[in-house]
Amino acid sequence: MPPLLRIKNLVKTFEDNKVLNGIDIDVKKGETLGLFGSSGSGKTTVGRCIAGLERSDSGSIFFKGKDLQAMSRREKKKVRPQIQMIFQHPEISLNPRMKAFDSLVEPLKIHGWDDKCSLENKVEELINLVGLRREHLARYPAHLSGGEIQRVVLARILSINPEFIVADEPTSMLDVSVQAQVLRIMEKIQQEKGVSYLLISHDIDVLRKVCHRIVFLKNGRISGVENA
Amino acid sequence: MSYLNVSSLCVDFLTENGSVKAVNDISFEMKKGETFGIIGESGSGKSVIGQAILRLLPSNAVVNGSISFGAEDLLSLDNKNMRQIRGREISLIPQNPAGSLNPLLKNKIQVAEVFEVMGVNKKEGIKSVLGMLKNLLMKEPARILENHPHELSGGMKQRFLAAMCLSYKPSLLIADEPTKGLDSFSKKGTLDLFRHMKGEHGNSILVITHDLDFALEICDRVAVMYAGQIVEVGPVTDILQIPSHPYTKALLNALPRNGLIPLHGHTPSRIDLPDGCLFYTRCNLRSDKCGTERPATKSIKGGVVRCHLY
Amino acid sequence: MTGKIFRRKDMTISILLLALLVVVAISYPLLALSDPNAIDLTNKNLAPSAEHPLGTDYLGRDILNRLAAGTTTSLSIAAGVSAISLFVGVLIGCISGYYGGIIDETLSRIIDIFLSFPGIVFALAIMGFLGGGVINLILALSVVHWAKYARLMRGQVLSIKENEYVLSAKIIGAGDFHIMRKHLIPNSVATVIILATIDIGHVLLSIAALNFLGIGLPADIPEWGAMLSAGKEFMRTSPYQTIFPGMAITMVVIIFSIIGEGLRDIFDPNDTGGEYL
Repeated sequence: MPPLLRIKNLVKTFEDNKVLNGIDIDVKKGETLGLFGSSGSGKTTVGRCIAGLERSDSGSIFFKGKDLQAMSRREKKKVRPQIQMIFQHPEISLNPRMKAFDSLVEPLKIHGWDDKCSLENKVEELINLVGLRREHLARYPAHLSGGEIQRVVLARILSINPEFIVADEPTSMLDVSVQAQVLRIMEKIQQEKGVSYLLISHDIDVLRKVCHRIVFLKNGRISGVENA
Repeated sequence: MSYLNVSSLCVDFLTENGSVKAVNDISFEMKKGETFGIIGESGSGKSVIGQAILRLLPSNAVVNGSISFGAEDLLSLDNKNMRQIRGREISLIPQNPAGSLNPLLKNKIQVAEVFEVMGVNKKEGIKSVLGMLKNLLMKEPARILENHPHELSGGMKQRFLAAMCLSYKPSLLIADEPTKGLDSFSKKGTLDLFRHMKGEHGNSILVITHDLDFALEICDRVAVMYAGQIVEVGPVTDILQIPSHPYTKALLNALPRNGLIPLHGHTPSRIDLPDGCLFYTRCNLRSDKCGTERPATKSIKGGVVRCHLY
Repeated sequence: MTGKIFRRKDMTISILLLALLVVVAISYPLLALSDPNAIDLTNKNLAPSAEHPLGTDYLGRDILNRLAAGTTTSLSIAAGVSAISLFVGVLIGCISGYYGGIIDETLSRIIDIFLSFPGIVFALAIMGFLGGGVINLILALSVVHWAKYARLMRGQVLSIKENEYVLSAKIIGAGDFHIMRKHLIPNSVATVIILATIDIGHVLLSIAALNFLGIGLPADIPEWGAMLSAGKEFMRTSPYQTIFPGMAITMVVIIFSIIGEGLRDIFDPNDTGGEYL
């Protein structure tokens, strides 16, 4: 079976600084691939390229066999939402002027969900999945803890059923006990929905605990692969 | 003899929704030359303690209890004497090194400013910082002083601030979350810095952190905080290797290498505190008594613990 | 939010005064008590008296009556200018900051051009071209004012557009219009609104200045700046016809400055304590 996501010879330069220098990565369906590196190793750039926030200079990213960076606008609109991303800093991960509920249903509304009754059911299903309570949804992000915000973010992106999630240091700003909660929820989501993760982190203990495979990145190149 | 003595400290923040009990009846003491850690997760109230010691709390805070430092009672000092103690006697290495330096001023000028305020000759001050930078193993200290803050990396900024703090030889250093948000490489640098400060300068350091590994490496004794209370105090190896309190146990089990076992539930509301133990709803060793009666602190094996199990 | 506003005394007083002015501005033309343009040459240049509490001007018109009628003109011009220049400025600044690249280059240069003219001279030139009248005055002053809101807005948008919630919205598949409307504008417009509030006072001063220079509104429209300028010739003999309109303008400028400053404190997300707690 071909991999869900295949990165081939990815190269990215920022102002003479070769951040990525020929990266090849495969991620299978239902797999958690860890990407380890220190700051400046280019690991975040890999994630941003996959999510479409950055365009590589050369190389390709194949998702289900199709090159993401060579798609027509129309195709992109259909395929892009299947790849979602969760970020490092909970304090700016949600729009501070939107209640958690509105952030949660934003993707559903964008993708044309207007049936009020089933929207309620969908919200119920999502918050159960990530372990949030109704009362959390009535709050603004300023009144949610870091762990609660990351759960809202997870519920939000899960609402449009992505198959691939790029998680860029999702727990590095969280407390130890909350980190464990969030990572366990991500594991549960994988078991229930079969999503694949690219988990970017500088914490090797975390990666060894939750990943199937770990790719080590150093100075824009892959320096090693470890099977867990 | 105890050197910093915090006893029955309570800090409440008055807000629109009621008074928030940020710190609730905390007592601990630090000996001279000791590195004492306050470990807790965000919202546990640990940073409030540091601010209370330096009397830097916002105006809506109500402080009760006592904090004595040497012969002084810090909470009853007037502002003038408190200013004498701040910086000279007790110094703070802030949580966010980047935000603690004025981006428009050369590092040298920031240093000079500090000494000006302290009433020390500027040139001498700069000389002592230069010496301190060398001492903290920074390369090319003279060039660092000519740079602007943005030309320093995060780790260098932290060292620079530490050098500033150490250069007028405070007897107590408070470090607020020195490793927050750092990657493992920078963490190692911070650890080296603290080891050096501890070994070479013999400073008494109060480390406020959520980083258990860092605390284990650097602290002599630690206090573990949960929901505004200290749940246990003791030598660091005892606490982080054979913990007594169920919360500490759960915290250690949540570490990736110990199994990444999450704590269930939420911390209690700090406005309406429950009658019983604050950890009751999340504890898997609880009994009926825990739900109705708040445990008092008890002495066990060289420390104290706040739990009905002991 | 309302609690925060009324905990500040200066804010409360300013808002009450402003409310009073707005009531006068709206109700005065409807009440039509007496004609603010009624000329009475036998009673010209009078000092304040029981009959004319603020005196009369060089044509014998009652100053209090004209000041009250002028509230309508002055406030509606100021409101019109703020609304138009805010709308244009926020829109252009947001587009410029969000898209970047060549669009930003072009729009930024246009903003620079508008900012490089001295405001009053620019407005004067536009009025010379368009002719006098309330609508033209509003247009001319809007043309002068929008650019600084656009520049401020652009800066604000630049500082938040890489925030993770904006990136997340992009990845989710939100369109540019949605991102601007739901994420960028709500999170950056506060600063611009604060500036615009403080600026309302400046707008009033600009109207006064234009009228003072003789270009602006026709003489029969009661407006504070026009009254000030018309009275200047009688400053020595009958100073009241400049003093009272001048005081009215000053008062409104101060009211809006206090409200603007207060809004800045209230919108500041880092401000939890402060003097009003």
